[in-house]
Amino acid sequence: MFIEIIDVIISGLINGSVYALMAVGLTLIYGVSKAFNFAYGSFYSMGGYIAFLLFGISFFNNYLIVFCLAAPVLLIFGFFIEKLLVAPLRKRDDWEVKVMMITLGLALFLDNSYQVVFGARMKSLPSILEGSFEMGEFILSYQDVVIFIFSLGGILIFRWFLNNTRTGMSVRAVAQNPAGAQIVGIPKEFVFAATFAISTVMVGMGGILLAQKYFITPAGGWDILVKAWVITAFGGMGSIKGGLYAAFIVGMLEAFVGWYFGMTWTLIALFAVLLTTLAVRPQGLMGKWG
Amino acid sequence: MEHKRITVFLAIIWGVVAILPLFFGSTNFIMHILIMCLIWSVVASCWDLIMGFAGIFSFGQVAFFVIGSYSSAIISARLGVPPVFSVFIAGIFTAGLGVLVGLPCLKLKGAYIALVTFAVHMILEPVLKGDIGRALGTGGARGILTIAPMNIFGYTFTSSDPIPYFYLLFLVAVVCSVIILMVIKSHWGTAFLALKDAEEFASCLGVSAFKYKLMVFALTSFLTGMIGGFYAHYVGMLSTRMLGIDLFVTLMIILVIGGVGKFPGAVIGAFITIAVNEMLSPLGSYRPIILGGLVVVLVLALPDGITGLFEKMFSEKKQGLSH
Amino acid sequence: MIKIHDLNAYYDDFHVLKNVSLEVGKGEVAVMLGPNGHGKSTVLKSICGLVEKVTGNITWSGEEIIGLGAEKLVNKGITYIAENRELFPEMTVMENLKLGAYSQSARPHEKENLEKVFSLFPRLADRRKQLASTMSGGEARMLAIARGLMSNADFLAIDEPSLGLQPNLRDEVARIIKEINTQGMTVLVVEQNIPQITELADKLYVLEEGKISFEGSREEALGDDHLKEIFLGM
Repeated sequence: MFIEIIDVIISGLINGSVYALMAVGLTLIYGVSKAFNFAYGSFYSMGGYIAFLLFGISFFNNYLIVFCLAAPVLLIFGFFIEKLLVAPLRKRDDWEVKVMMITLGLALFLDNSYQVVFGARMKSLPSILEGSFEMGEFILSYQDVVIFIFSLGGILIFRWFLNNTRTGMSVRAVAQNPAGAQIVGIPKEFVFAATFAISTVMVGMGGILLAQKYFITPAGGWDILVKAWVITAFGGMGSIKGGLYAAFIVGMLEAFVGWYFGMTWTLIALFAVLLTTLAVRPQGLMGKWG
Repeated sequence: MEHKRITVFLAIIWGVVAILPLFFGSTNFIMHILIMCLIWSVVASCWDLIMGFAGIFSFGQVAFFVIGSYSSAIISARLGVPPVFSVFIAGIFTAGLGVLVGLPCLKLKGAYIALVTFAVHMILEPVLKGDIGRALGTGGARGILTIAPMNIFGYTFTSSDPIPYFYLLFLVAVVCSVIILMVIKSHWGTAFLALKDAEEFASCLGVSAFKYKLMVFALTSFLTGMIGGFYAHYVGMLSTRMLGIDLFVTLMIILVIGGVGKFPGAVIGAFITIAVNEMLSPLGSYRPIILGGLVVVLVLALPDGITGLFEKMFSEKKQGLSH
Repeated sequence: MIKIHDLNAYYDDFHVLKNVSLEVGKGEVAVMLGPNGHGKSTVLKSICGLVEKVTGNITWSGEEIIGLGAEKLVNKGITYIAENRELFPEMTVMENLKLGAYSQSARPHEKENLEKVFSLFPRLADRRKQLASTMSGGEARMLAIARGLMSNADFLAIDEPSLGLQPNLRDEVARIIKEINTQGMTVLVVEQNIPQITELADKLYVLEEGKISFEGSREEALGDDHLKEIFLGM
């Protein structure tokens, strides 16, 4: 019993850390540009498939190389998707709906393209680190530890980027006051595209990290999108701090509900908690109005 | 568009649709597609009413449709209610759920509403497949395989002879579109426009956002649930496959093609989209790729849909005449 | 110097500025007066590339700059200081100032400008770690001006600096404008509640209903009874 609870807490922490990485990316786009990206889950799968392709080439058969190659690909992809699909819509009054629609279309396009190119069968990636730490009945696989460290590391790098680089600061500036950002000469359009690109990298990296544990499937990103979405709304859309807290709360909640009631109840429990939170605080845990 | 032009436009559309069986009546396959067009035109028009006119980003439209279809099937099977009544009961039931979903949404904004309503969609599949659903009679993962066909005054509508059912649904679709038209024309419509443009200002004028938003949730979910019931008694079987993302996107394409907030564009959109979708079906797994790509291209190239294109042509022509 | 010829500006279909022409010489201070809502801010924003629909000519040291966006203009040394300050609320004073030096041309001078700003506003130096949202109205106003100075601008368009200021801080604003002007800054300021600023003016403009209705020196303005009464409060 005791060991089981420890296991549940650890799995909650590990999932929470990955969720945090992905929810932060989603909340970032919303916070900066008020755009909602329905194709976010498909970008998650894209990370996995890029890694799968790279692992197929023996020369790149190494996680470090895969990360270093996948990141710029995702960055460029995200940047151009924003420039080509989202940016042209921004001038319209009803651009929010239009962005939801176009990204939903993109998601359908990408998911089914994966299915045609890679087939419907699950793909897996090699484990990043074999072996496990054992102490009596307690087992902790190194793979989980690495996932946890990489996710937290990703978030810390991102935090550093936001607080200490000029581009990062301009991203925060646009999120906090777009008019002020324009006055000091920050190119808003570039910041929007850059934000989109960064969030694509974050979710894609999450896809690579989780692929070794949960496999890659063409429509596997939907689950991630819904979870990231719930977490961002729960924490307050646009609030990075709120997203971090919410990610770990959701990770824990899921682990405990799944363990106690069974996996089918996790989604229902998740939405129940979300709805209760929103009923009390419509702006989420740490969100602000407007 | 002015109300008068909408009315004329709508009359022309329905006039054309009414005579379609004269040309295609002998081909059951085409009649079947036309019936689907009628059904989806109602669902899409309701979505347009809530999203395009009322400005509420509701993403629960397919969920309400599925709820309506399942509940009508279950009510007619379990309680022995004739389908002609069960579709209305299903509509009322769906409307109740719609209000329930609408309540938390009243306090929320844009993307949050989208999430809460989409949550209904996401939860529905595990609920229908799970223990709760099986206890209610959803048939779990298998779905409901036998649903009584529609029967009015002893006349049974069968899918082997689709022309009568076509005209029945034609009547339903016309009534639904007239209701939607009346809503848009009435002070509801004006209130929505005011709420969409400036919610705070409108509420200063005494337009109650609360009341109107709840009413639009109730009305659209009622109509959607009811047409869901008509769908169930027509196709004769149901499964949770309807909740897949394909159908959701197809419905969205209808709106994209018809134009958001451009009623009756959604009706035209439904006929074009469903027909094109059928024509693409030989392409198999390439079809959803094309559909997805189509959404992307259309949102960019035709932001106001076909109706927007018509409007533009019309106003240009008018300008040309006045010169 | 900045030279505006036949400037027209629109918000959607609303015609705000009608054939506005004005000129501010290098190192001069020009003050614009006029009733509220007649387009004074729009003149400043149009110069600084913050209004989308503008027609006419604006030249800066002989170069045509109309239609260039704010990013390019800030880089050329033209900076707007907003009446409602437009600070970044969840950032510290220091971060706000650093972002003031965002443009390419300001980056190499960030250090020296920071020193300059801190000597002008010693109070900001004490509060460099404070969040902008927690500052008082007066401090926030100082920060807005300081952020504008960080852009290494040669021309500042200052919009109603007295807005929300206590009377004793108005002298301070006038002092600062005088000081930066003596250091060579060209300034166009919209302000009519601080007489000391009008005294600084090399030239006065009055904007009514989107048109320049008066142009001249302070002495000439004082000779005009209408103006004297309404705008100079004398």
